[in-house]
Order: sequence, then structure tokens, then C-alpha cells
Amino acid sequence: MSAPVTTTQPPSPPPPDPHPPRPAALDPTRLRLALRAAPRHPLAVAGLAALFALGVGMLLVLAAGAELATAWQALDEGMFGSPYAIGSSLNSAAVLALIAAGFTVAHRAGLVNVGGEGQLCAGGTAAAAVGLALPAGVPAALGVPLVLVAGFLAGAAWAGIAAWLRVRRGTSEVITTLLLNFIGIGLVSVAVHEEALLRQPVTSSETLPQSAPLPTGAQLPLIGGPESPATAVVPIAVLAVVVTGIVLRHTALGLRLRAVGHSPAASARLGLPVGRLEGGGLAVAGGLAGVAGAALVATAPYVLAEHFSSGYGFAGLVVGLLARGSLTAVAAASLLFGFLTSGGINLQLAAQVPASTVQIVQSVLVLSIAAAMLFTTRRPGSRR
Amino acid sequence: MTAALEVSGLAKSYGGTVALDGVDLVVEAGTVHCVLGENGAGKSTLCHAVAGSLTPDAGTLRLYGQPYAPRRPADALAAGVAMVHQHFSLVSTLTVGENLRLLRLPGLAARIARVRETYGLELEPDAVVGQLPVGVRQRVEIVKALLRDPRLLVLDEPTGVLGPAETDALLETCRRIADAGHAVVLVTHKLGEAVRAGDAATVLRGGRVAGDGTTKDLSARRLVPLMIGRAAGDLDATLAGAVGLEDPEAVGPDAPGPDGLDDPGVLGLDDPAAVGLDDPAVVGPDPVVPGEVVPAAGPVRADDARTPQGAALRLREVTVRRADGAYALEDATLDVAFGEIVGVAGVEGNGQSELTAVLGGSLTPERGRVELDGRELTRALPAARTRAGLGVVPEDRHHEGCVPALSVAENLHLGRLREFRRFGVFLDRAALGRATEAALAEHDVRASGPFAPMASLSGGNQQKVVLARELALDPLKCLVAAQPTRGLDIGAVAAVHARIRAAAGRGAGVLVVSAELDELLTLCDRVVVAYRGRLLGPVDPRAADARERIGALMVGVEGERGAASGVGVGAGA
Repeated sequence: MSAPVTTTQPPSPPPPDPHPPRPAALDPTRLRLALRAAPRHPLAVAGLAALFALGVGMLLVLAAGAELATAWQALDEGMFGSPYAIGSSLNSAAVLALIAAGFTVAHRAGLVNVGGEGQLCAGGTAAAAVGLALPAGVPAALGVPLVLVAGFLAGAAWAGIAAWLRVRRGTSEVITTLLLNFIGIGLVSVAVHEEALLRQPVTSSETLPQSAPLPTGAQLPLIGGPESPATAVVPIAVLAVVVTGIVLRHTALGLRLRAVGHSPAASARLGLPVGRLEGGGLAVAGGLAGVAGAALVATAPYVLAEHFSSGYGFAGLVVGLLARGSLTAVAAASLLFGFLTSGGINLQLAAQVPASTVQIVQSVLVLSIAAAMLFTTRRPGSRR
Repeated sequence: MTAALEVSGLAKSYGGTVALDGVDLVVEAGTVHCVLGENGAGKSTLCHAVAGSLTPDAGTLRLYGQPYAPRRPADALAAGVAMVHQHFSLVSTLTVGENLRLLRLPGLAARIARVRETYGLELEPDAVVGQLPVGVRQRVEIVKALLRDPRLLVLDEPTGVLGPAETDALLETCRRIADAGHAVVLVTHKLGEAVRAGDAATVLRGGRVAGDGTTKDLSARRLVPLMIGRAAGDLDATLAGAVGLEDPEAVGPDAPGPDGLDDPGVLGLDDPAAVGLDDPAVVGPDPVVPGEVVPAAGPVRADDARTPQGAALRLREVTVRRADGAYALEDATLDVAFGEIVGVAGVEGNGQSELTAVLGGSLTPERGRVELDGRELTRALPAARTRAGLGVVPEDRHHEGCVPALSVAENLHLGRLREFRRFGVFLDRAALGRATEAALAEHDVRASGPFAPMASLSGGNQQKVVLARELALDPLKCLVAAQPTRGLDIGAVAAVHARIRAAAGRGAGVLVVSAELDELLTLCDRVVVAYRGRLLGPVDPRAADARERIGALMVGVEGERGAASGVGVGAGA
């Protein structure tokens, strides 16, 4: 990266003096060193990656035959244009933040949870089952916590399968959580197709394969006034991120998780319950994804349906990967992705640019950050 | 005779570490030339230089009189130099025949037939490599090397993974290859093999040639001191000065010997019964019956008569098998009395790592028993061992000893974070820092602060931190220190030794596992020798011939008192 930039330096003028005093900033050696050092800073890396992703996005917009200005306006409108846009962006961001915060917990213990989608499905299914079992007049103070706790427990149990296999059998959690995603997605599908399970009573051939709506007392309350769809999931996610951050940073438990993540062997020697910490970390990751699933079910239209997850599990994984263990970064990346997702929908509606453009930009962003991170951690030219 | 390989002035260093320092070596054609030396003596570096996998800093090589400067392994192969590495390079899911076909050599069948006829090396082409015993896999490797009809064959530690019979077969093969007019360089740290199979030997120590000659002139008795170094006096004096003692020999008698320490109460330890009660995780108090008859399993073992009842650490017939079924530890039996320092010597790979792992709790023995002050800990979790008073300094500092990515404070106190709580939930970093600063001062650790990353410390200071942590156990009944001074400079070595002596002085039993014979001789009251998973000896380090006896046990030249496990090699055969 430094080479092409340094070549743009003006060649030093033919010197009458054999040792012309060169301005310090233009000294090629020093500049090269500065350039080599500058992109190593994580913020600089993220910034460059974002610029690159933005460039790709602009190319895609142009390829779709739209004006850049129109597309930008549509994107902006979809993100911040109305209380509705802001509210739904915040909801998306909250769901992503829950999953990414969980990912970070497991990541501290050295585990990579790629099973957010499956855990989210398990949590959503359990939340729907509990919500539908509640009596119609249940107070929200009771119904909402019950639904969310059901989601947490189901998500934790779903991740617990992978945790158990990992701790007892040494099976890689990357594989197990990934595969459990497909089972979880299938589980939702089965549940909403079978009347014996969660499908709403079939009254005609047009009855959709989805659950009946949750009773009012199980629905997440709106917090942003009548115009905004923002629900209680936003403060819940904020709370989850803050508590997770404090636990990981300021408690003995956080330190133990970190030790296990860095060196299971040394942690075991020092008497830490390595299996319990790893399993617990993964279970919490699943639990938070489960809460995210419960929140999706308990948000309008208040039903469990196929594809209710909308790929949030995978998007949350991406946010978690991007945040690289920092909960501040989890919050920031969740907001970015949440708003971009909402904006992307409007991009398609208003500017006829496919919404998947935003997904491509997000993916490019992740890829370029991941690639650039190697740059920060590894010196070029070093062999190992 | 023509010189097959002439090495002169070969030097190579990695960063500040000198691996080879002006090595000269002549290998005659038609001979088996042994390169001997302890771990880290530079044997492997020499091999890699000859086989073209590294470029030396200085020095020249000549192959059959021609200048030879391989820059990559392919150059070496083209010049007729083949190397069999310590670790096999076979695809274990393929058959033997498929593995050989991977070489893409023309006329493969004819070559295989020729190797079979010339050297008597039979192969089963349809056998899957992964299902073959290691000896056969190695034979495949050797055949692979011979298929190219090399003029010089280099074998790097070929016998490390082999049993006695397989070793004999290999040495026989080496002999045949030499008889066919080629030259064989056999790198080993086992003297018995060198004496048996070699025509000539070169002993490396610390990257230099410590001695060479034909094996007729070099008997095992002469090779041992060359290999392990005779200059013990110099090192001892340095250490003694650094520790503040005039005469290292005075340390042994001054330290509390095993004899006067029958009563643990003298040592200010807690009542063992009380300790047993507050720890439900440990399997019962299970007191040792005094005078319990220990079934004789090994032909040679630690001398029970010398150790008093209620040993700090007691191992009985601890047996561990590796994944391939070979014994890593076989009926290892040992007692460490309170206040006694017992050393475990031995060439690496003779069960020392497994012994430490069994004591640290990361490996469960197949059978046998581990007791700490009369309490069984064979299957106890590491935390229970720590609570019971067993401190362990693992052999690999970076893998098990500490977490390099965490800070010094966190490493010191990771096992006892409960003592550093604020408001019941939060970690009290200030208190953690204060406790760490005190420990750093007490143990003279140089760190930029209590929250400096462990990885930023020098090896010596890291080891001091690990040792400080294990010595802080209350009560400390026994300390197990594996390779406690590996990679440390002389000052740090002295500090670590002083700490270990002080621990024994306060009444803890100490078990030191080390590849450094000098270290064991200066530090220990008794030395046992790990050889093929058994603990042989003990040898009294104060005896005049202690070094020779330990050296002999280490390399299997002779088994003391007719050990059946020692290979029956006639010295100077």
C-alpha cells in the first residue's frame, strides 16, 4: 500500500547542492515509515476499508443505472428520513447488537459462535410457544419477560448442544453451531406448518403457514411514540451490551473467560473450570441470540413465520466479527448495519437500486476489514 | 578413502542464538558417521544445512570433493544427498505404494526392487501407512530416500520413536548402506547406538565440535563427558557466587536432608487431616498405612529405604501410554521427602513430560497412584492439587505456565481472583496491582509494572513470575519444577535455583525435572534418571562418579544393577 503512494512523490529537483535540505514531511524514508505505520492503527484500517466499500457501493449504484445523488438521497431517506425509518433502523440495530454481544462473550472464551441464526430460530420458536400459551389478558409486565426468558433459555439450550459436544467430545464449535443453524431454520419451518405445533388454525386454503399472533401482553411495548416502530428491544439491547461490557472488562469472570480464550492449557493448570467457562460462554451467546429471536417474534406482526429471522443471525455474526471483541465496536457496527439495512430497503423502493447492493457493500466492508486486520497484526515479509 | 562430505567452519545463528559456531566435520564414504549431542547442541541445524533447508552464515561444504552449496532441498536431492527427517513426511491415509508413487520417479518398480535386493528392505505396497507401526513407517521413509540412490544419506534422530528391535533393524540397514559404498550421517543423542553402529563420531556441544574420532578410539566412557560437558566446576562456581555461597557442595548437607524430617509438624504445615476435610473434591483422605508393602514392579527404582514415611510426594507405579500404545511412563515409582530436592535427569522424550503432566493434572495415568502428603491426587483436578499444596512449574512456560497475552498481575493471581473483589462483583484492580507489586519486589522481577503484558517480560522474569505464583501456595507441600531454567541466562538461573532451595529449606519437597545435568547435580539431594518411561537410580549427586553414572543411565549404555530395560550394549563394541 505504501509503495504506490511514495512513487507519487515529486522527484527531488536536480540538486546544485549535493545534500539539499529536504522538508521533513517529504523525506521519502520518513514518509514511507509514516505510511507504513499509519494504516496499522485499527481506526485507520476501518476507515480505509469503509472508503473502499463505499467505492464499491457507488460503482454498483452506477451499474444499476441510477444517479449517485438520487441513490444517496434514497438511502438517507430510508435511514433517517422519518421517525418510522429511524425506529425500524434502531430495531434492526438492537437485534444485531444482541447477537453480536453474545458472539463477543463466546469469542472471549476462545470460541467462534457461527450459530446465531439457529439460536435465534430456537429462541423465536420458544418465545412463540410461550407467548401463545399465555392467556389473552396477560399483563405485559408478566408476558414480555416470560417471552424473552423463554427465548434466552431456548437459544442457550441450542448453543448448549454445541457447547456440550465441544467440552465433552472436542468437536469444533464452528462446525456444530453452523450445522445447528440449518436444523434451527428447519425447526421453525416445521413448527409453522403443523397445526399440532404452532400453526394458526387453518380456516381456508389461504391461511398462511405461520403462528397466530401473540396476545397483547406478550408483545414488546413501543417506546418511540405512535410514529415510530421502535420497541423495548432497543433498551434491552443497550442493557445487554453495557452489562456484557462491564462483566467482560471489570469482573473476575471476564478475566477468567479471557484467560481461557488465550490459553486453555494454562488456565486449566491454574485451576480454572475451562469446560464450564467455554460452555457457559457459548450458552450465553446462544441465549442472547435467542432473546433476539424472541424480540423479532414479539414485534409487529407478532407472529412466528418462516424466514422471520431475515438472516439476522448471520448479519449479527458479521457485526461480531467486525467488532473484534470490543463492545463499543459492537454498538457502533450494529447501528451502522441496522441503519444501512433500512436504508437499503428504501434504496430499492425509491431509486430502483437493488437492496442487495447494501448487502454487497456490507460484505465488502467485512472482507476488506478482515484482510486489512492481517495487515495490522502481521508484519509484511515476516514468515510466520 | 574419499571424503563423502567435508564440512568446514560452518556457522549459523538465529537472532542472538548461535546454533553452529565453526563446525568442522569429515564423513568418509562407506562409513556410518554419528553426530552426537544433547538437545540444542546444533545437530539439527547441521542436518538442515547439509540437506539444503537452511543457508549457513559462514563455512563451506564439499561433497565427494566437489564444492556443494545447496540453496533448497531440491539442490541437495539433485546432488545425491537425501535426508530422513525426525518427523515423517508420509500421507497416512494412502498406501505405501501410493506414497512412493507421489515421488514421480521414473522406473519406480525397478528402483524398489533394487533397494529391496541391495538393502533387504521389504515393503508391503498395499498397506495403508496410517495402520503401520512407526518402525515400518520409518522403513518406508528410508526406502523413499534410497530410491533416488543417494550418495549421502542423513538420518535426523531416527531412533527417537523406535523400540529396541526396530532400532537394531535400522542400525543394520545403516550398516548395509555404508557397505554399499555410500555414506550415512546418523544424528542421535543416544550413545549406545553410536558406539554400536558408527564407524566414526563427532560430538557437538553448544554449536561446537567437542570431540571426534573413530568409535574404536571413542568408547562410551569417553563420549559421555564430551557430550554432557565436563566443565561443571566453572558453572557451579558461577552459580554459587550468584546465589551467595562460597562452595556449591556445602548446599547439599546444609539443606534439610530427608532423614530428620519424619514429622511434618516440624515444618509448620497444617494438620493433614484438617486439609483433607475442607476439600471435598479430593478423593478421600486415604491415609497411607505405614510400612505398606509396595509391590515390586520395576527392576530398578527409587530407593525406598532412604525416604521416611509420609513423603511429601509419592508416586507408585504410574503408567502412561502414548496414543500409539508405547509406554511413555512405565511403573514410575518415586518418593520425595519433605525438605528434599529430588532431580529427574534424562534425555528428553523418556517420559519426563508425561511425568510432569501427570503431576500437574493434565494427564490421567492408565494406572498407578499419586499422593501428596498421604492424600491421593491421582485424578484430582488442578484446582484441588493447588489447594492441597502441590505447586507445579510446567515445562512449557508459554503453553501451560502462563498466559502471555495477559498481564503479570493477572497471571500471578488468576487462580485466586476471589481474593480481589470489590462490592462483591467487580475485580479490584488496585488491590491486584498492590499485591503484584509486592510479589514482583519480593522475587526481583523486572517488569514495567504490575499490568505489563506477560509477553513483554524476558524469559527469566516470566519464569520468576511463574515460580512466585507456585511458591505463594499456602501450604506449599511439594513443588514440581519442570525444566525450570530452560532458556534463562545465568543470573536468572541462579535466582530460580535460590528460590527452589529456599522452598526446600522451608520444608517443601521439591521435584526438579531437567535436561541440564549440571543443574541437577548442584541442586539435588538425589537424582533419578528417566529412561524409556522408567525411573532408574537413584544416584547420589555428591558421589565422585555421579556424573558418569547418571550419564550412563541416561543414554542406556548400562543399566545400573543390571536393569533389564537398559539396552545391553557392550561399551566400545
